[in-house]
Amino acid sequence: MTSCHEIKADAGVYQKPNKILLMGNPNVGKSVFFSHMTGVHVVSSNYAGTTVSYTEGEMKLGDRSYTLIDVPGTYSLEANSEAEAVAVSFMHSNPVAVLCVLDATNLERNIKLGLELQKYNVPIVYALNLIDVAKRHGVEINVNLLAQELGAPVIPTVAVKGEGLAEVQAELHKVLNETQNNCSHCASCLGCPKGSTEQDTWERAREITAKVRKKVDGQLSFLDRLGAAMLKPLTGLPLAILIIGLSLGVIVGGGKALRAVLLLPLVNRILVPFFRMIFSSFIPEGVLLNVLIGEYGIFVIGFEWIIALIFPYVFLFYIVFSFLEDSGFLPRLSVLFDNIMRKIGIQGGSVITILMGYGCAVPAIIGSRTATTQKERIIIATMVCFAVPCISQTGALISLFAGFSPLLLIIMILLSLAIMVTVSLVLGRVIKGKVDPMVLEIPNLLMPNPKAYAKKLMLRMKHFLMEAEVPMLFSVIIAALLKETGLLDLIAVYLEPLVSGWLGLPREAVIALILGIVRREMAVAPLLAIEGLTALQAFVGGTVALLYLPCISVFGVLTKEFSPKVALAMGLGTTVSAFIVAGLINQIAHLFI
Amino acid sequence: MALALREQEYKTELVDIYHAPDNLTYVVEDAPELGILKSLGIVKDAIVQKIMTYKLGGPVLLQVESCEIAISKDIAEKIIVRG
Repeated sequence: MTSCHEIKADAGVYQKPNKILLMGNPNVGKSVFFSHMTGVHVVSSNYAGTTVSYTEGEMKLGDRSYTLIDVPGTYSLEANSEAEAVAVSFMHSNPVAVLCVLDATNLERNIKLGLELQKYNVPIVYALNLIDVAKRHGVEINVNLLAQELGAPVIPTVAVKGEGLAEVQAELHKVLNETQNNCSHCASCLGCPKGSTEQDTWERAREITAKVRKKVDGQLSFLDRLGAAMLKPLTGLPLAILIIGLSLGVIVGGGKALRAVLLLPLVNRILVPFFRMIFSSFIPEGVLLNVLIGEYGIFVIGFEWIIALIFPYVFLFYIVFSFLEDSGFLPRLSVLFDNIMRKIGIQGGSVITILMGYGCAVPAIIGSRTATTQKERIIIATMVCFAVPCISQTGALISLFAGFSPLLLIIMILLSLAIMVTVSLVLGRVIKGKVDPMVLEIPNLLMPNPKAYAKKLMLRMKHFLMEAEVPMLFSVIIAALLKETGLLDLIAVYLEPLVSGWLGLPREAVIALILGIVRREMAVAPLLAIEGLTALQAFVGGTVALLYLPCISVFGVLTKEFSPKVALAMGLGTTVSAFIVAGLINQIAHLFI
Repeated sequence: MALALREQEYKTELVDIYHAPDNLTYVVEDAPELGILKSLGIVKDAIVQKIMTYKLGGPVLLQVESCEIAISKDIAEKIIVRG
C-alpha cells in the first residue's frame, strides 16, 4: 500500500516547472482534492498521516497544464518531522501557486499553517473544507471576512461530495493569470502576523478565528454521537467488542461459507477434474503426471490452497479492515486500549499497526514507521512476526481447527496474545531507548466514501495477487516436487526425531516446515491434507506455524526496513521459540493424556 | 497584601491537565516542547476543554476547537493549565 507513497530519492520533482502545491493539515481531505483534480488515485484513510510522502499528477487549468503535488499533511512549516521537512523543501522549489486546504472544524491551527505559507510569497488559494461537518458541530464561518483577513481567495468546499471543487480550480486559474500576487501590497493587506515568531503566528490565527467564527445551534448527527459513545469506556468497550466480533464473524463465517458453497465445489468439481482430464489425455502415468495432478499435484493443491483456502479470507479481511480504517473506528480503539498497551511497554497508537499485521505483516512492518522511536518500531515488528498470524494463515488455521472443537481456536488466540505480551515485555527491557507516549488526534466518525473505498479495496487485492501469488505458486511447486518424487520421505527420516519425537506430529508434517519458510499459511495447509490428525496434533502443528519463520516477503521487508541482522535474528528467534513452545505443549499434554 | 493574595489564588489554580476536573475549559499555561503538541495547537494560551481521564493509567481526552485529542498520562501530567 505504501509503494505509491514512498519518498523518491530523485529530487527531479523539485525542479519541475509549473508546480501547484496542495497543502494542509493531515486528514483534511487533500487526497480527495488530488484525486478529483488529477484523476490519479491516492490511498486515503480516516486518520492522520496516511500520506507519508508526496504524489504528483497532471492538472489542466484552461489550456495550460500544471503538475499538482499532494504534499504530505503538515501542521506547521517548522520542520518538526520528516513530512514537514518535505513540505518546506517544496515551498522552496519555486511553485507557481499553493492550494491550501483548511479544515473548517479546526480553524485556528489550520489558519496558523495558512499564515506560515504566506511568508513564502507564492500566490495562494484557500479551500475551506468540511464546512458541512463544522455546521453540524455548531460552527458557522464568515467566508468573505476570512478571505479579507487572509488577503487571498477562500472557497468553501465539501470535497467528498465534490462541492466547490470546480470553483477552486477556477480561482486557481484566475490567480495564476494575475501578473502580481496579493502579497506585494503589504501596506493594505491585513494578512500576515505582526511579529515573526511562532507565538505571533498563533496569536494572529486566534484573532482571525475569533473574528470569522460564529457559534450557531449544531445538530450532531447519529455518527457524531456514535463516535463520542465509542470514546467512553462504558459504552466504547462493549461497542468495540461488538464491532470486532462482527468483523470476525464476517471474515470467518463469510470465508467459510464462500469456501463451502462456492470455491470448494468450483475447485473440486470443475477446475481439478478439467485439468486432470486434459493432462491424463496426453501424459502417461508416472512422476510427471503426479507432479501435475497427483494428490499433491501443482494443479490440485495450487487451486485448493490458493483459491479455496486463502483467497476468501484475504478478500473478506480487506473488505472489513478498509471499512474500519476509513470510518475512524481504529483511533478510538487506540485510545481505549492505551492503558493496557502502556503497561506492556508500547502505546495505544500501535494498535492500528498490529491490527494491520492480521492482514499481512509486510504493510504492518512498513506502517510501523509511524512509531516515533526505533525501539517501538522493533517491538511492534517483532510482535507481528512472532505471534500475529496473517489473514492467509488465519484462514488456514480456521480450516485446520474446523474439524475439532472451537475451543482450540480460542486457546490459540489466547496463546498468541500471551506471546505478544511476553515479546513486548522482554524487548522493552532488552532494547535501549524509549517509547514515546501517545498523542493522538481523533478523526470524525464517518461513512467511508464508496468510490474511494472500492478503489482502495481493489488496490489492496491487486497488491495481494501480485505480491503473494508468485511465492504461493512457488511453494506449491516445491510441495508437488517433494511429495511426488519421494524426496520428502528422505528428508522426513532426518527430521523424524524433531517432528515425530519432540512435536508428536505425523511424518508428513515435515512438508509444512519446509513450505512454511516460503509462505506463512503453507506451514498449515499441508496439515489439512493429513488424515487422522488428532486435536492435539492439530494444535501443536498450528502453534509451530503461528510462531514459525515469517515468510520470505517478510524477510525482505525486515532487511529493507531494519537490517539483515534484524531479519536473521527474527528468523532464528521465531523458529527456535516455535519448536520449544509447541514441543512443550505436546510433552506436557502427553503427561495428562 | 490584597495583590499577594490574588496572586496566590491565581497560582493555586494551576494544575496539570491529567488531574484537572473533567468537563471544564482551561487555558494552557505551560506545555512540553513537543512538535506534535505544538502542531495540534496545545501551546501557551490555547484554550482546551478537558473531556475525561481514562482509568488504569489511560490517556486524557481533550477538545481543542472541534478536534478531540487523546494524550497519554505521561505527557498530560506535564501540561499545566489554568482554570
